[in-house]
Amino acid sequence: MPLIKRRSLLAGAAAALAAPAIVRPAWAADTVKVGCLFSSSGTMANLEGRLNYITQMAADEINASGGVLGRQIEVVTTNPNSDWPTYAQLGRQLLQEQKVAALFGCWTSVARKSVLPVVEQNDGLLFYPLHFEGDENSKNIVYLNSPPASSVLPAVDYLMSGDGVSAKRFFMLGTDYVWPRTINKILKGYWKSKGIPESAWQEQYVPFGFSNFQSMVNQIRSFASQGGGQPIVVLTVVGSSIADFLREYSNQGIQPTDLPVLGLDMVEADLEGLNTASLVGNLNCWAYLQNAPGPRNQKFLADWAAYVQKSGAPYSPHVAIDPMVSTYDGVHIWANAAKKAGSFDVPEVRAAFAGLQFPDPSGYTLKMTAANNYVSRGVFIGSINANQGFDVLWQSKGTPTPVPYSPYG
Amino acid sequence: MSGLLNAGRDRAARPVTGLLLLVLVLAPVLGLHAIPGLGLSIYGINLVGQVMCFALLAMALDLMWGGAGVLSLGHGLFFAFGGYLAAMHLLKTAYAQTHVLPDFLQFMGQGAFPGFWWPFGSASLSVLAIILLPGLLAFVFGYVSFRSRVNGVYFSIITQALTYTAMLLMFRNETGFGGNNGMTGFNTIAGLPIGGTKAAVLLTMLSTAAVLVVLVGGRAMLATRFGRMLTAIRDDEARLRFLGYDTLWLKLAAWCLSAVIAAVAGALYVPQVGIINPTLLDPSLSIEVAVWVAVGGRGGLCGAVIGAVLVNTLKFWMSAAAPTVWPFVLALLVLLVVLVLPNGLMDLSNRSRAWMADLTKSDAPGAKNARRLS
Amino acid sequence: MRFGLKTGAALVAALICLVLGPVRAEAAPDRAAIVNGLCQGGPGLSQAADQLLTGLPGATPDDLAWANRVVGAFAHRQLLCSGDGRGYLASGAAGLDAATLAPVALPADATAPFPSLRARIVLERMEAALALVSPVAPSATLAAIGTLQQHNDSVPPALVSMAIARSHDAQVTKALRRFGVLQGLHAPDTAQRIAAIHDLSRDTTSDALGQLRSLRTDPGYAADPAVAAALDQGIAHVQTWVHVGNVLALLYNGLSAGSILFMSAIGLAVIFGLMGVINLAQGELIMIGAYTAYCVQQVVRAVAPAYISLYPILAIPVVFLVTAAIGIIIEATVIRHLYRRPLMTLLATWGISLLLINLVRVGFGPQNLEFITPSYLTGGVSVVGDFFVTWNHLAAIIFAVLAFLGTLALLRLTSLGLFIRGVTQNRDMAGCIGVSARRIDMLAFGFGAGLAGLAGLAVAPIYNVNPSMGADFIIDSFMVVVLGGVGSLVGTAIAAFGIGLVNVGIEPFYGAVAAKVIALLLIIAIIQWRPEGLIAIKGRR
Repeated sequence: MPLIKRRSLLAGAAAALAAPAIVRPAWAADTVKVGCLFSSSGTMANLEGRLNYITQMAADEINASGGVLGRQIEVVTTNPNSDWPTYAQLGRQLLQEQKVAALFGCWTSVARKSVLPVVEQNDGLLFYPLHFEGDENSKNIVYLNSPPASSVLPAVDYLMSGDGVSAKRFFMLGTDYVWPRTINKILKGYWKSKGIPESAWQEQYVPFGFSNFQSMVNQIRSFASQGGGQPIVVLTVVGSSIADFLREYSNQGIQPTDLPVLGLDMVEADLEGLNTASLVGNLNCWAYLQNAPGPRNQKFLADWAAYVQKSGAPYSPHVAIDPMVSTYDGVHIWANAAKKAGSFDVPEVRAAFAGLQFPDPSGYTLKMTAANNYVSRGVFIGSINANQGFDVLWQSKGTPTPVPYSPYG
Repeated sequence: MSGLLNAGRDRAARPVTGLLLLVLVLAPVLGLHAIPGLGLSIYGINLVGQVMCFALLAMALDLMWGGAGVLSLGHGLFFAFGGYLAAMHLLKTAYAQTHVLPDFLQFMGQGAFPGFWWPFGSASLSVLAIILLPGLLAFVFGYVSFRSRVNGVYFSIITQALTYTAMLLMFRNETGFGGNNGMTGFNTIAGLPIGGTKAAVLLTMLSTAAVLVVLVGGRAMLATRFGRMLTAIRDDEARLRFLGYDTLWLKLAAWCLSAVIAAVAGALYVPQVGIINPTLLDPSLSIEVAVWVAVGGRGGLCGAVIGAVLVNTLKFWMSAAAPTVWPFVLALLVLLVVLVLPNGLMDLSNRSRAWMADLTKSDAPGAKNARRLS
Repeated sequence: MRFGLKTGAALVAALICLVLGPVRAEAAPDRAAIVNGLCQGGPGLSQAADQLLTGLPGATPDDLAWANRVVGAFAHRQLLCSGDGRGYLASGAAGLDAATLAPVALPADATAPFPSLRARIVLERMEAALALVSPVAPSATLAAIGTLQQHNDSVPPALVSMAIARSHDAQVTKALRRFGVLQGLHAPDTAQRIAAIHDLSRDTTSDALGQLRSLRTDPGYAADPAVAAALDQGIAHVQTWVHVGNVLALLYNGLSAGSILFMSAIGLAVIFGLMGVINLAQGELIMIGAYTAYCVQQVVRAVAPAYISLYPILAIPVVFLVTAAIGIIIEATVIRHLYRRPLMTLLATWGISLLLINLVRVGFGPQNLEFITPSYLTGGVSVVGDFFVTWNHLAAIIFAVLAFLGTLALLRLTSLGLFIRGVTQNRDMAGCIGVSARRIDMLAFGFGAGLAGLAGLAVAPIYNVNPSMGADFIIDSFMVVVLGGVGSLVGTAIAAFGIGLVNVGIEPFYGAVAAKVIALLLIIAIIQWRPEGLIAIKGRR
């Protein structure tokens, strides 16, 4: 591709001329490094592995249009092996040894919590692409996805409304760690504030990677048959447990119309390999769904399919999930902030976040403010369809302002 | 059975001790950049410190395996126990400074530290706890197991199951120690900010010093009457019992000592990585420790240090440089050691086959037949 | 919002409600009102359903065909609605008015409403009502009756009598008659009520129990002592069966959890129990079994897609042979050098497991494999109370029993089994009488590996299949073998089902993790008390 080469050469020359003004000596190479902390082995591999590729794809996209401040982005990938302390270890290495300008990484809150002290000590910047439990506001983490107040509560509200199923009783089933625990704590506070009695809900937790949901589904069935109004399941299990739960749920002949499931961590990739005909109608909620309308999403999906083809990534070219888009947004937000700041230095990049906007594949325009490192995103409620995907059941009018600390916790 | 301290291991002992002393001296010099232009980053110093903790853990295992012929696949349990206790102290210290309760207590609906945390506000009581509590756990478990004569592979499997059980238990948030998240958000250690250069240098020096003390002291101990009794247990416990010795208490003493060393290693390790969570209790870590010892060579503790340092350095380097290749390298290393160098790298320096055959036979219950027949 | 209530449509709906308030039983369905309700969504949907249901008894065959068409179109998002609440069916380039089926031009703003969860519930009711009176297969009618029973009150009795009149199937007629009786639950006549209560009590689920209980606490309903007595009797009856169902469910769940445990341990019972080899790669042999099953599935899908549902049966011999072959290779290259050094075997097999995991990861990727679950392994049947038998777990239980009997037969009845027992009991003596110990070791190890492979096949439809799945099985299976008594296949079976039962029994009270922790601690305690396991083999080991 001689054209692009020439263009990047020109851009490089321009940057070289401008270099004394904008580039610090520490960055005096013609590339800028960013690091990835996503596992390509272990329990999270199936989900996190995709994010390594999407980071590279976004970087390629930016590089093809001249890079950032005249530099090409070089993505350094690592494999934390789904082991939380290793995330911290590799994060430290990327920041101290590789001198990366930004980190993109972590799926579970556990991983984020273990990297948090590392980025704070080294004044690094971690772009975190998952929706999470909130109650955290570090200047060194960019929370690309939504805290519960702007993602979980709208979805639960919908189910409790007449448009939904007028849900009255709630079975909370989660993986035993900070995200489900905090989400459920917030939900309980929320229901209490609405005057719902404590007898209307039940809470159960399973370990990471739990797979035999036979007796759990039995418990849910007996909870549902106790009467007292429409029951729903608020599912906060993560990783491979999601598919295992859904399999047993449909196996025991439960219909979504009788007992709908709101899967808060359920993404398109979790439905791969499932027969979703008997699951049609179960819900999830995210800031992006693959079926989000609009040309930007069409382009993103086409780009991803082409990228998979080109790079030989071991993932389906036809499946896109929210954290992929969030990571993609993160790379662009970082690049835009660096351009705006005219520097790769973290304090200056961070200062540039205020007022930053990015029109992303979901169709919404993402916004950041000076108040915190949270990103305003739209909200989708999806409904499982028969083709292992989610149809958009509801989407927010605009992008609600994220509330880091939930009033219901 | 030749003498315990044969020439081969002596040959390794002196250079290893020397190298450790060198590390002890160089750590502050390089870490604090005393010589301009010549220094190590915090990251580098930190790695050395971590590797030293692993060496300590490996020696703890070797004391039992090489010393008394009892292979524990549950040393991760004591390592993590020490780590958790240290983390509790660090959290208490952090709370005294920030007055912010750790999040795992918050989302479990606790308004304050539970009562039993009170000793961890004090550094000296914490150190005491790090030594006593894992020692007590080891004592109870060891007493019950050794008294029922749970031996050989059964002991290995049960220790592994115990570690696994502890992992499941600690993964629960109801257990009260942070569940899957574990504990993080430490602030200072001995007044130094954690993650800073000074703390890293201090911890690295402490870990190296601990390795030196255990190496020298442990080798001296193995040379005493107690050490020779352990060797006798390793070679033929039944015969020793026939001769009127109560092997239960001998084994128990070594077992408790080994557990305490592992706990101290864990307590030194946690402030260096800044997080503890139940993955340290994953049975595969405990097996890996046995691999370090097997690679280095059992008995005499030097091999344990060499193996731990070698494998971990290789691991740190490769899991960054070639993450997909590392598991293959480790797997092949294990097979190579097991099939070609049955007593690890020590075999390279010491090829006294007769001694080796003796040692390797002794840990097999079925081997007694073989020996009698041969 | 697609379902936003358009003001005009709401007015129309309100008017229709006023006019049609007390619907005559024999009136034909009001097509325009139904279409309008479907298009409106929200409360309009329920009104449309009520109108359809009350209108059906007076419906002509033409009405029925129309209703089936429109409801079907709505379900498949082919009913297009315009802003004014009118519905259209797409027909080529032009459209049909959904109410009259007259060709009209499609308005520009016509879109297909998305059936929300609430819409689905209503839709289900409409489809079931239509299935009741339309010529469909008896099984579909029976399913429809089941759905309608949940909305007992909204089904007009005339619809049931109409369905009975049209029914040609004895079973369907019986179910319909029962449904008719059940409808008397709220009839003013006491005798009818009592009959309905009796009938409801025959449905021994906790759903029925809840219904009966809420009727019992309703002072207006249970005012008549005869009704109250019938309710009490019904509650007592259902309660008994619900208890029985719960006990059976516990046993069944324990049995199925135990059968998975047993399958994952049976290979180890041979390799560790009989041969004394600590094989930490056992979990990976299970994983390879699952991957082989996956390969069989892919081959069948490519070669003979019509027979895809038979692949699990075809996979049984393939999986066994492939994993047995891998086991034999492992034995011949590594294990055979280590028979006298069990702790070294432990390390070596750990190395092998690491190697296998990563080879598979490189070859297949880290993601979970997709298995097609054949139709005969999905779903299940409700037996009594809340006891629900799922086919996949039943298959796992049967598979475990067959594997147990097969292994037992091989060890007890064949000469190979005799040799294996001989060599493992006293290899030197066996060698003296001419048994090739080397060959027997190899075959026994291969046999154990093959059994592990079969375990992989058995767990594939229940668990996630990925390269690191083996780690989930290894400790449990060692515990099962050690607890059962090394060398005793029967002990392994007893231990597996015991642990399964304990696990399942504790789970509802303390959660899954605590259940596992308690079970493991229990095992460790039992082993301290009986180091040789539950069933100790007498004689020399």
